[in-house]
Amino acid sequence: MNAALTLWGKHMVKIRRHREEAFGLLLQPVLWVVLFGVGMQAVMGDGYITFMVPGIITLSALSGSIAGGSTLLDERLRGVVKEYLVAPIPRLSVLLGNALSTVSKGLLQALVILLIGVLMGASLRFNLLGWLGGFLLVAAYSMGFAGIALGVASVTDSVGGYHALIFIFNLPMLFASNALFPLARLDEHAPLLNIVARINPTTYVVDGLRQLVFENAYFVPTDQRLPLWLCFTVVGAFATFGVWFALRFFSRSVL
Amino acid sequence: MKTEQFTIRAEGLKKTYRLGKDSVEAVKGVDLQILPHTIYALLGPNGAGKTTLLSMLTTLIQPTGGVAEVAGFDVTRDPDRIRQRIGVTFQEIVLEDDLTGREILDYHGRLYRMDKQARQRQIDTLLELVELQDASDRIVRTYSGGMKRRLELIRGLITDPEILFLDEPTLGLDPQNRANLWSYIRNLRDEKGLTLLLTTHYMDEAEALADRVGIIDQGQLVIQGRPQDLINELGADVINVTGSGDIAPYVQRLREQEFVQGLNAAERLVQIGVDNGNRRLADIVTLAGGNGFHIEDIGIARPTLGDVFLKHTGRQLRDH
Repeated sequence: MNAALTLWGKHMVKIRRHREEAFGLLLQPVLWVVLFGVGMQAVMGDGYITFMVPGIITLSALSGSIAGGSTLLDERLRGVVKEYLVAPIPRLSVLLGNALSTVSKGLLQALVILLIGVLMGASLRFNLLGWLGGFLLVAAYSMGFAGIALGVASVTDSVGGYHALIFIFNLPMLFASNALFPLARLDEHAPLLNIVARINPTTYVVDGLRQLVFENAYFVPTDQRLPLWLCFTVVGAFATFGVWFALRFFSRSVL
Repeated sequence: MKTEQFTIRAEGLKKTYRLGKDSVEAVKGVDLQILPHTIYALLGPNGAGKTTLLSMLTTLIQPTGGVAEVAGFDVTRDPDRIRQRIGVTFQEIVLEDDLTGREILDYHGRLYRMDKQARQRQIDTLLELVELQDASDRIVRTYSGGMKRRLELIRGLITDPEILFLDEPTLGLDPQNRANLWSYIRNLRDEKGLTLLLTTHYMDEAEALADRVGIIDQGQLVIQGRPQDLINELGADVINVTGSGDIAPYVQRLREQEFVQGLNAAERLVQIGVDNGNRRLADIVTLAGGNGFHIEDIGIARPTLGDVFLKHTGRQLRDH
């Protein structure tokens, strides 16, 4: 654990030194809220911002997590991982340290978007337990993607290939979910997309967040809330998958 | 089980890589015995298997055959005990250039669970040793190549290891920086009593630095010994003869001469080890007469490890 925390601390110091990178990563979700959100609110009516902010929080947790995985890739390609491997530390602490910093980046980004969302007029609920639940959902979702990112970063040798991965996940995960459109409408007008959205873990995080953290987040009348237990189960399963995926590929490359 | 005698010992150490259906034998059964407090240099061309051998001894990769012990511990059964006792620098410069020199050293010490006081004391002493104290709070990106190598050298020393492994420690450095690094390395043996295993493809480096040298070629340790002994086996002087025509009869006649102490022949080049170069030069020229070999160039030189390499592998070791 000592080694994992040391690596985590080092990665956190490095983020502070790379402000441009952090800024770039944040810019995209900020633009979503500020430009897309405001425009759509004008078309769709009041309450759209509150509706979409949980989705953008989730999106930024996703891109933060995947970007975090590139730290491991960078350490592998530069040979820094070898320095860890000749040290008397457990092999898995290299993965754990990277997972910690990757999830931290995801959560940090999510927090910034939450603040911007509130500034733009999203209305929050004040329920401590709800907030805790929301935090757990985002953390678990972040862990799932961190796992996928770290698994890929453990085996790929190409920075370009890795970044292509970010693009493959980024927008489809957003569009093929309930983040921007209500599931009920999808059910009526786009049944195929509805099916995809229902197997996308993003949908469950977003719906859970709407119920737990936001006030009146369903801007169209709907009784199509997903049961909270289902949200936690799906996201928990996704996080487990991510951990399994990372362990499997990390062990293959390093042990 | 701890065997004290040798600091590093290997027997029949092997590494075979699988590439699809093919397999590549990077290290083909190496025996090594390295005594404490010595500098041992593995000399060989690029691709000879030096780095693979080092990776097995530093517990980075697992051998596919044979046994190896470092500091008395088995590399496959007790890797963590070994890791606590060694320092390693790699062939490529492995530094995070967005951290300062001091931070890099500090994080390294933290990985090894050193307490803050011990870290600070070690860092200050070592920075002074390699004269980096003034640059220590600068980001590593601003360091020159020589400074980076020095920083890596002392990173391996923060934890006070018994054994230091250096893979091509002076790769890419200019002569002055190389000579500096050599004197730091000698100091480590003399003052701290370290055992050092380094790899190099520079023969002058092995000659200048090593107490013992092992010549490695195509995954095999061809010969090992004290550099001066290996060189002396070739004779006091080496006469290099280059020419054209049929070389075989000439070599045959040379072999019959009593004063010839060593002989290497490769394509158009014959190297003749003799007791005294100046005195034997005339004889050697005369012997070439009338048997189809035409001398184009002739010179006398003190033999080097490069000549030792040629003798034992039949190929020339090129310096890059």
